[in-house]
Amino acid sequence: MSLFWSVIRQLAEIEAMATSKKVITRDEWEKKLNDVKIRKEDMNKLVMNFLVTEGYVDAAEKFRMESGTEPDIDLATITDRMAVKKAVQSGNVEDAIEKVNDLNPEILDTNPQLFFHLQQQRLIELIRNGKIEEALEFAQEELAPRGEENQSFLEELERTVALLAFEDVKNSPVGDLLDISQRLKTASEVNAAILTSQSHEKDPKLPSLLRMLLWAQNQLDEKAAYPRITDLFTATLEDPTV
Amino acid sequence: MPGSASTTHRPEGLIERLRSAAADGGEAKLKVLRELKNQIIGNRTKKLSYIKLGAVPSVVSILSSASSSVDCLLIQCAATIGSFACGVDAGVKAVLDAGAFPHLINLLSHSNEKVVDAGARALKMIYQSKAAPKYDFFQHKNIEFLISLLDKNNENVTGLGASIITHSCETNNEQKILADAGVLKKLINLLQGTTSQRESSLESFATIIKQNPEVITKFVGPENSTTFGSLLELTKDRYPRTRLLACICLTLIKNATSSSSSYLQSVGIRTKLILVLLELVDDFGQVGDEALFTLSSFIEHEEDLQKLAFEANTVDKLCHQMQKESLQAKRLEGIFTTLGNLCSNLEPCRSIVLQSPKALIIITDALTHTTIDVRVAACICLKNVSRSVKYLSAGHFMTDAVIMPVIQLLYDASTSVQVAALCTLVELSKSMDSTVRLNAVWALRNLMFLVDSRCKEEIFMDLKLFPLTRLISDSNACVQEQALGLVCNLVNGPVDSIMYLFTEGLLLNTVGRELRRASKPQVLVQAMYVMCNVASGKEFEKEAVMQQLVNEDDNNQSIIVTLLQSDVASLRTAVVWTVVNLTIPTGAGALARVVKLRNAGVVSQLKNMVNDPCLDVKLRVRTALGQSMTFGDFST
Repeated sequence: MSLFWSVIRQLAEIEAMATSKKVITRDEWEKKLNDVKIRKEDMNKLVMNFLVTEGYVDAAEKFRMESGTEPDIDLATITDRMAVKKAVQSGNVEDAIEKVNDLNPEILDTNPQLFFHLQQQRLIELIRNGKIEEALEFAQEELAPRGEENQSFLEELERTVALLAFEDVKNSPVGDLLDISQRLKTASEVNAAILTSQSHEKDPKLPSLLRMLLWAQNQLDEKAAYPRITDLFTATLEDPTV
Repeated sequence: MPGSASTTHRPEGLIERLRSAAADGGEAKLKVLRELKNQIIGNRTKKLSYIKLGAVPSVVSILSSASSSVDCLLIQCAATIGSFACGVDAGVKAVLDAGAFPHLINLLSHSNEKVVDAGARALKMIYQSKAAPKYDFFQHKNIEFLISLLDKNNENVTGLGASIITHSCETNNEQKILADAGVLKKLINLLQGTTSQRESSLESFATIIKQNPEVITKFVGPENSTTFGSLLELTKDRYPRTRLLACICLTLIKNATSSSSSYLQSVGIRTKLILVLLELVDDFGQVGDEALFTLSSFIEHEEDLQKLAFEANTVDKLCHQMQKESLQAKRLEGIFTTLGNLCSNLEPCRSIVLQSPKALIIITDALTHTTIDVRVAACICLKNVSRSVKYLSAGHFMTDAVIMPVIQLLYDASTSVQVAALCTLVELSKSMDSTVRLNAVWALRNLMFLVDSRCKEEIFMDLKLFPLTRLISDSNACVQEQALGLVCNLVNGPVDSIMYLFTEGLLLNTVGRELRRASKPQVLVQAMYVMCNVASGKEFEKEAVMQQLVNEDDNNQSIIVTLLQSDVASLRTAVVWTVVNLTIPTGAGALARVVKLRNAGVVSQLKNMVNDPCLDVKLRVRTALGQSMTFGDFST
C-alpha cells in the first residue's frame, strides 16, 4: 500500500499550499510523480496477488518464472478452486459441492449460508432442466429443513420454489434466479469461501487500489486542477482544465 | 448430473452398502464413504438420521482396520467422522463411543500431510463441542503432547492444540500450569501465522488469562510489552473476528488487573478500544453480538469508561439498533446489557434512552421475550433507566405499560428473571406516580409473603437502599398500606426475620409514628400487624413494641387504647392480637408489661370488649384478659 500513501502525502502537500484552486501543470505533476519511488518487487507482488486471487493459474505460473515473484499460496490449490468455480458456473452444482468437500470439509460444514445457496442453485438447475418431480423432492428433503432453521433461508426457498408456478418463468418476478448472473453470484461466493479457508483475502488488492486512486482524485478535484487519470485502461494523464 | 440423486441416496440404502463395505472391504469402501461424507456435510438433519441408523461405528471400523498406506481411505474416514462431530453433540458422542479418538490421534503422526490435516480437523471438531471429554493438563505427558501440537508447522494441528485449551482449561490451576509450561508464548508466536491460526490462538490465549491476575502479571506484564503491543496492533487487523478477539483479550487483562496496574490506563487506548468494538457492533452476526458483550464488560464498574462510551455515541447507536426488525435474542440481550451498564450511573444516558421514541417500548416489550436471558437483560436495563429521578418524577413510566410486565416477571420460572424484576420494582417504587409506586410495592409485598427466610434475607441485603421508611410515610394511603403489608410479611415467621426491622434502625419508629398519625383504617391495620408480628418475638422485641404503643410519661390516652376503641373490627382484632403477644406469661418481663398496660387503661378497655360484636375480637379479648389475670387481678 506504500504507493497509495505516497500519493496521499503528495496530495496533502498540495493541499497545504493551495488556498484557492491551484493549477498544477503537466511538467510539475510528472516531476512529482517521478519523485515517488515504487519498488518493482512490490508491483510484481500486486500483479501476482491479482492473478492468484482471480485464479489465473497458468498466467501466475508464467509470471512466477518470468519475474521470480513467489505466490503466497500453493498454485495447485488454485486449480482446485477454479474447478469448483467452473462447475458452479456451468450448472454442475453437485459436482462442485463434492469438490469443495474434498478440498476442505470444514467449508460447507461451518458456513450454512453458503451451503444453502449451493443447494438452492442445485434446485434452480433442476427446475431449469425441467426435472420438476425431482426438484420438488429435492426441495422438500434437502432445503426445507434448512428453511426451518433460518427465516431468511425460508424466504429465499419460497422465492425459488415459486419458479415452478410460472408458465413463462423468464418474465416472472423470480425470473432473475434463472439468469446466468445467479450462477456467477453463487460461484463467486464459493470462491470467496475457499479463499478465506486458505487464509487468503477474497478480493485482489489491485481493484481496491484503483478505487483509492479515484477517491483521491475526487478529493483533489475540489482543490486543484491537475493532470488527471480518467481512462483507467490507458492510464494517460489528461491536461488540466482550468 | 446424476438424474435420480435423491432416490439412490436414501439413508437406509446407503447404510446397507456401508455395512457390507465395512465387512468385506475392497474398492467399495472409498466410494460409499465419500458418498456418505457428501450427504452429511452441512446437513444437520442428515447427520442426525445417519447417526441414528448407526453409521458412525461402521465408519470407525473402516478407519481402524485400514492400512496406513491407503491414504485416501484414511482421509475419507477422518473427514466423515469430523463432519459427524461438527456442530452436533450427538455426533461427538457417537464418534467417541465408537472409539474413534485413538485412531484419529494416530493420524497426526502420518507422513502424508493431507492425512494429518484430516485427522487434526476431525479432532478439532470434537474439541469444539461441549460433549468432548476434558483434557487432563495435570499429566505431564499431556502437556508435552499439547506443546508438540502447537509446535507443528500445520495450521490444522496448531488449531487443534488451541481448541483443546479453549475447551478444557477452566480452573486457575490449569491456567497456571499452561502458562508456566510456556504455552502463552507459543500462542503469541502463532499470532504471526495465518488468519485461522491467529484466531484460534487468541481464543485460547483469552482462556488462559481469563480472571487470572497472577498469570497476567507474570506473562503479560510490562516486561512482556511485545505481547501487549501485539494485542493492541491486532485491534486494527483487517479481519473483524481477529479485532474482536484482540479486544476480548485486552478487556480480560484490564478487568483482572484494574486499578492497581498500569495496563490500559491511557484514555487514548481506552477510547480506541471502545470505538473498535462499536464498529464491530455493526456486524449483525456472531462477531457483532460478542462485540456488544465485550463492550459491556469493558465498561462495567468504571464510570470513566462509561463516560467515554457515552461520548462515543454508544447510547444513540444502540437505541437506533434495537429498533431494527427481527433481531436475534443474543443481539437484544447484548444491547440491553450494554445500555443497562451505561445507564447505571450516567443520567445523560438515561435521558437519551427515555427521549428515544421507541426505546422504552421495545425494552418493556422484551420483558415478555421468549428467551430468559433477554428478559433478565431487559429488566435490568429498565431498572437502571428508571433510576432517573427526573423522569420518574415526570411520570414517564406509565402504569400499565411498564409495571405490569415487570410484575408478571415475578412469577417467571427463572430465578434470575425474578431477581431482576424485583430490583426493577424497587427502583419503580421510588416513582413520583403513586399508582406506579402502589403497584410496585404491592408486588414486592406479595413476593415477601411467598419466599422463605433465607431468600428474604438475601433480598433485604440486596436492597440496602430500599426506601421502606419513605414508603411507609408515603403521601398516598394506599402505598402506605402496601408498604406496611410488605414490612409485615418481611417480619412474619421465625424470630430472626424480625431482626430486619431493627437492623434497619428507624423502621419500627416509622411504623409507630404512622399508628399515631394515620387515619385510614387499612393503614392502621397493617401497621398494627407489624407491631403484632414484632411482639411475637423475644423480650427485646416485645419491649420495643411497648415503647411504641404505651407512653407512660404522656397524660393523654395511650394510642393502644384509642385503637382498641376503633369502629373497625379488623383493626380491633389486630390490636388485641398484639396485646395477646405482649402478655404471654412466660417471658421475664411479662409481669412488668401487664402492669404497664393496666396503668395505661388497656385492661379495663379489654374488659369492656368481652362481648364485642366481632367474634374474632371477642375470642382474643378473652385470651388477653386470661393472660393478664395469670399475674392476679390487681383491680380488685
